[in-house]
Amino acid sequence: MSQPSSNHRPTRASLAARSRALLLLMACTFGAVVLGQQQSSNTETAIRALEREWTYAQGHNDNRALDLIFDNALVYVEYGRLVSKGEYLARIKREIPSSDEIVMDPVTVRTFEDTAVVIGTYREKKLQRGQHETKRWRFIDTWIYKKNGWVLVAAASTPLR
Amino acid sequence: MRARLLAVFCLAALCCTAQVSQDLKEEQELLALERVAKLQACESKDLATLNNMLDEGFLYVDPSGKHYTKAEFFTLVKSVDSFQYATDAMAVRLHGNTAIVTGLFQIKIVLHGQPSLERGRFVDTWLLENGTWKGVASIDVSTQ
Repeated sequence: MSQPSSNHRPTRASLAARSRALLLLMACTFGAVVLGQQQSSNTETAIRALEREWTYAQGHNDNRALDLIFDNALVYVEYGRLVSKGEYLARIKREIPSSDEIVMDPVTVRTFEDTAVVIGTYREKKLQRGQHETKRWRFIDTWIYKKNGWVLVAAASTPLR
Repeated sequence: MRARLLAVFCLAALCCTAQVSQDLKEEQELLALERVAKLQACESKDLATLNNMLDEGFLYVDPSGKHYTKAEFFTLVKSVDSFQYATDAMAVRLHGNTAIVTGLFQIKIVLHGQPSLERGRFVDTWLLENGTWKGVASIDVSTQ
């Protein structure tokens, strides 16, 4: 009785098929990596634009724009105090446009699928008793992608010592 | 028709209750994680536990505005002589797979023999990764 050969040598055709499959797999993997990087880069660009939009809207008392940027459940720590979206918007509404100036430094954006964390610093120029005071702050902002786009869900900043 | 409406109403109520119950469970888990990370792991310098609880991209900002990566934060935890972290008034806000935890803190720290005390408010961001909550960002804002 003949034994089945354990030394099964692949034919040229099967080798070519395997190579094609391997090439296809490599192309798909490379494509997925490139696509992932592209998506991450797009998210970073969108978040940076929103951070700039927020600063601009705040400086111009544009509550309509801020309303779209902030999630309704926003938690915001402002000067050590926890404020809601409504309280924050009410403060902006009361302020004289551009009485304070905020200058953003370069920021770092970390993306985690539908969540993005931004860390950075900014300078705040405030008019206090007729004198301009400048203070530097470090902040962390958290953005989430919801059905209508990216919204800010948490923001906090602490003064740099 | 009335029976069908009642059935739909009951189903909706059941789904709502299940969601509320699930959210409550997640909130309790996050509050427990906060206590483990801040009150136990940092205090006892249990870096293995912290390593499991924090994402590789974790970022921390201390009350003086200094920022740390995960590795730098571990170096800080290792270098302190003593560390006591107390929390109060913690609250959780869930946004799907992301959670924001806020609360009040008090840190008593001794670094190179120098004691210091900080009070303020913290904001932590957690992410649900493969069924496990991982800390991705934390900021302690000074209120002094």
